[in-house]
Amino acid sequence: MITRSDDGPEFEPDDPLAVILRPTSDYLGPPPGRYEEIRRGAARRRLVRAAVGAGLTCAVAVLVVLPLQSSTPGDPVSPSVPLAPPPVSSPSATPTPSVSPEPAEAHPTPRAPTDGSETPVTEVAPVPGPR
Amino acid sequence: MKRSREQAASELFAALYPRLAGWCRRLVDDDETAHEIASEAFTRLWARWTSVAEPRGFLYVTAANLVRDHWRALERERRAVRRVTTETAVRPHTEQSDPSVRLLVQSLPERLRVPILLHYYADMPIREVSAVTGRKEGTVKADLHAARELLRAHLRRSLDHTL
Repeated sequence: MITRSDDGPEFEPDDPLAVILRPTSDYLGPPPGRYEEIRRGAARRRLVRAAVGAGLTCAVAVLVVLPLQSSTPGDPVSPSVPLAPPPVSSPSATPTPSVSPEPAEAHPTPRAPTDGSETPVTEVAPVPGPR
Repeated sequence: MKRSREQAASELFAALYPRLAGWCRRLVDDDETAHEIASEAFTRLWARWTSVAEPRGFLYVTAANLVRDHWRALERERRAVRRVTTETAVRPHTEQSDPSVRLLVQSLPERLRVPILLHYYADMPIREVSAVTGRKEGTVKADLHAARELLRAHLRRSLDHTL
């Protein structure tokens, strides 16, 4: 690519570009106190940036360290008591009565004596008397 | 150390602020906005003072970007006003600003705008522009040439429209 030399004169006298690219002759002096204001603003921004940087660094460090710490073996783990096995079947809320061909006696009731005596009869062993 | 840095900052401000603010005024045609833009450019510079190698170039490029943002905001505002009032003759505020400089900033792609700003408005020699932008001197010259050609074409077109 052929380029022009920029060391010599760049524009012809009637080149409209000379108007665009003329160095600025306008000067606008700063209002009083502007310099200090800008310096304070810049210092504040530096602080904020440092704080954000430190915070991010801490967050990253925590994120890196925590998983490492949890994966390293610590104290020997004492054997824990195994849990009781879960109940085999849980009773249902509304148990259906089982139909049996004969009524079953759950508890045998003492049979009432038929001879009318209230006291229980005790058998006394015969004692051999004198002959 | 801190004192010398403070002194350097003060000297830089005294040397560059009036010129930068004046250049901004040509673009935005409003003293207050020009001061705001120039101040913001200096604030950004000093917020990262240690990492900026060439403050002059940084200031001009930052200011040019802020001016462009300002124009965009004005354009959005103008469109909104037009939509609300449905007036056809709402004159844009920035049309009073120097159209030629506006053309420079608006029409050029950033790749070409930066060398132009640094070379012509920040008065940086090509060698310095090359160092700041990280391009070879030959590339900077080619960019300047391409930018001038583009500007010429734009200028010719806008002159044709006005005639």
